[in-house]
Amino acid sequence: MQLKDIKTQMSLATCTLLQIAVPAAQAEENEWDVETAILFYNEDDSRVSAVEPAIYAGRELGDDQRIDLRLVVDVLTGATPNGAHASSVAQTFTTPSGKDSYTVKAGETPLDDTFQDTRVSFGADWLIGLDRLSRLTLGGNLSKEYDYQSLGLSATYARDFNDRNTTLSASVGFSSDTIEAEGDIPTEFQPMVVEGGSRNREGADDDKTITDFMIGVTQVISRNTIMQLNLSLGNTDGYQNDPFKIVTVVDPATGLPATGAFFNTATTGNLPYVYEKRPDTRDRTVLYFKTVHHLDEDVINFSYRYYNDDWEITSHTFDLKYRYELEDSYLQPHVRFYTQDAAEFYTHNLALDSDVDATSGAVSLDYASNDYRLAESETVTIGLKYGVPLSNNSEFSVRGEFISQTVDDGSVPDGEETPDLDAIILQVNYSLLW
Amino acid sequence: MASPCEVLMEVDNEKLAWQLLDVVAREAARIEAKFSRYRDDNIIHKINTAADKPVEVDDETARLLDFADQLFQMSDGLFDITSGVLRQLWRFDGSDRIPDKEAVENILDRVGWQKADWQNNQLRLDKGMEIDLGGIGKEYAVDRCIQKVGELTDQSVLINFGGDLATSCPRRHGKFWSVGRLITGRDQAVALFQLFKGAIATSGDANRYLLKDGVRYSHVLNPKTGWPIVDAAHTVSVAANTCTEAGMFSTLAMLQGSQAKAFLGVQGVEHWID
Repeated sequence: MQLKDIKTQMSLATCTLLQIAVPAAQAEENEWDVETAILFYNEDDSRVSAVEPAIYAGRELGDDQRIDLRLVVDVLTGATPNGAHASSVAQTFTTPSGKDSYTVKAGETPLDDTFQDTRVSFGADWLIGLDRLSRLTLGGNLSKEYDYQSLGLSATYARDFNDRNTTLSASVGFSSDTIEAEGDIPTEFQPMVVEGGSRNREGADDDKTITDFMIGVTQVISRNTIMQLNLSLGNTDGYQNDPFKIVTVVDPATGLPATGAFFNTATTGNLPYVYEKRPDTRDRTVLYFKTVHHLDEDVINFSYRYYNDDWEITSHTFDLKYRYELEDSYLQPHVRFYTQDAAEFYTHNLALDSDVDATSGAVSLDYASNDYRLAESETVTIGLKYGVPLSNNSEFSVRGEFISQTVDDGSVPDGEETPDLDAIILQVNYSLLW
Repeated sequence: MASPCEVLMEVDNEKLAWQLLDVVAREAARIEAKFSRYRDDNIIHKINTAADKPVEVDDETARLLDFADQLFQMSDGLFDITSGVLRQLWRFDGSDRIPDKEAVENILDRVGWQKADWQNNQLRLDKGMEIDLGGIGKEYAVDRCIQKVGELTDQSVLINFGGDLATSCPRRHGKFWSVGRLITGRDQAVALFQLFKGAIATSGDANRYLLKDGVRYSHVLNPKTGWPIVDAAHTVSVAANTCTEAGMFSTLAMLQGSQAKAFLGVQGVEHWID
C-alpha cells in the first residue's frame, strides 16, 4: 500500500464515531500566538527614559516548521553621562554637532542632554524540523536607529537524544553594525574643541562585526527539573568606542581640568577633554546555566551567567524567579544580582604630563574610557510580576522592577564620584492565541 | 478490558472524584459487555453466529461498523475486523509452531470485510466469518469515558486503559500529566511524556511472537495473506486529539511493517517507534 496522507479522513471518521465536533487542537495548528507588550523604563535624576512597545507573533507552518516574528520600537529621551567627571569648577562642553555648547555647574555630573533616539528592530526566526529528533533554526535581525544600524544572521542546530531527555545544540551568529554618529566620528584621543572650532573628526561612519559561537546542552533531570548549560565564544571586531564619550584631562597640580599650553582654550580652542579610545577587538567567553524546577504548583527558575572578556571585564549574574500560583493567577517575585570588574583601560581621568603631553596633547596610553558601563559595579534588581490567564488562550501580566546600580570608581577625590543609578521598569503584557 | 485500568484526576472534591470513578467504571463495563467477542449475550455474538442471515444493529454498533469500514478503505484492506479468525491458526506464544501454508490458504476464505454486506444498519456475514471489534474497543472506551467525565467536570482527568490513554482537558496552571512509556523487553518506563492534552495510544507485540529458523513472526497479521507482517515494529506510540485516532494510527503503523516510520511521518502525527 502506498503511504497516503489519511490524517483528515481519520479525524473525520473518529469525530463521526464519537459524535464530536472536529477538535479544537486541529484548528489551532495554524493559529498565531501573539504577544504585545509595552515597557516603560525610567532612570532617576532625569537621565534616560524609554518607552518600548513590542509585538511578537509566531505560528506553525505545518510539516514541522514554525515562524516567529518580533517588532520592537524603543523611544529614548533624556540625558546620559558624557564621560567627564564632576569637578569643583563649572565645566563647558561642546555638543556633538560642534554648533552649540552646554555648561555644567560645579559638583554636577556632566550629562549630555542632546541624546534622543528611536530604534526600530525587526527579527524573524524560522524553525525547520529536519527529522523527528533534530531541527534547524535560522534567524535574522534588522535594527535601525537614527545613528546606528545592525544586520544580524544566526543558525542553530538542535538534536534530541536519550528519549528526548537530552538536547544538544550548536549555533553560530553574525552581525554587521554601522554607526553614523551625530556630528561624525570623533578622532580617538583628540580633544573636544570649543563650539564653532575645527572639530577633530575622521569620517561620517564606522563599523564593526560581531561573531558568536555557542554550544549547549539541555537535560531533563527528573519529571520536575530541567537544566541547561551553554558555552559561547564571541568576538567583536571594529569600532567599539562610544563616539559621545570623553575623558577629562586633569592637571595633577590643581586637581582641576587642565588649562595651560595645549589645553589653553582661549588660544588653542581645545577643551580639557579627549575622546575615548577602546580596543578595536574584543573576545569574550560566556557560560550560562539555567534550571527550572517545578514544585507541586509553583515553579523556581534560577540562572547564573559568567562573562569574561579580554578587556578584563569579568561579570557574574545571578537571577532567581519564583512563580507562586494563586487561585486563578500567579505572582512572580524576581531578584537579580549583577557584579562586574572594571575594564583594564577604565580610568577616572587622564593626568596631564604623565598620560597626556602638556604641549602636544599626545596621549601616551593605549586606551582609555570613563564610561561608567566599563567600571566596577554592582546592580541589584528586585521585581514582581502578576499574571492572570484570562481564558484558555490569553494572558495579561504586569511587571514592575526596581534597579539599583552602584559604581565603584576606586579612590577618587570627593565630589567626583560616578553617581549611583536607580531606575524603574514597568511592563504590561498581553498574549493570546489568535 | 483485560488490562490494568486507571483514572487519574486533578479535582478538589472527594465526592466528585468518587462520582467520576463510578461513571468511568460503568461506561467501561458497558462497552466491554456490549462488544466483547468472548461473550454469548451481546450483539457481536449475534452477528458472528447468524450464519448468512442479516442482523440489524443499534446506532452505536452501526457507528463502530461504519468506522471499521472507513478504516478498511483508508488502509487498503490492511485493517480488517474480520481477520480475527486467523488467530485460530496463529498462536503467538513464543514457540516455533508456524501453521502450514494450506491451512492459511483455506482460512482466508473466511476473512475479508469486502465480502461483508453492510448497509442500512444491517450486517450480513458469510457463514464462518466473524467480526472482532477488539482493535477499536479499548480506545473507543477511553474516549467515551472522557466524554462522560467532561459532562460532569471541567477539571482535568486522565483515563488509562492498558496504555491507551486520554485527558479530558489541560491541567491547571499549565501543568502536564507525566506519562511513562514501557518499551518491550525493558523493565522500566524509559521515556516520560509531558501530556498537556489529547491522547496517546500504543500498539506493541509485548512478547507475542513466533520464532522459527531465525525468523521472528510478529503477532500482527496481514489479512490479505494470512501471514504476519514482516519487520513490524515492536512498539509504536502515537499522540493525537483522541485516543481512537491515536490507537488507529499506531495500529495502522504496525501493519505497515518496516514502513511504519515513513507512514506516520506522512500523517504528521507525533509518534515514537521501537
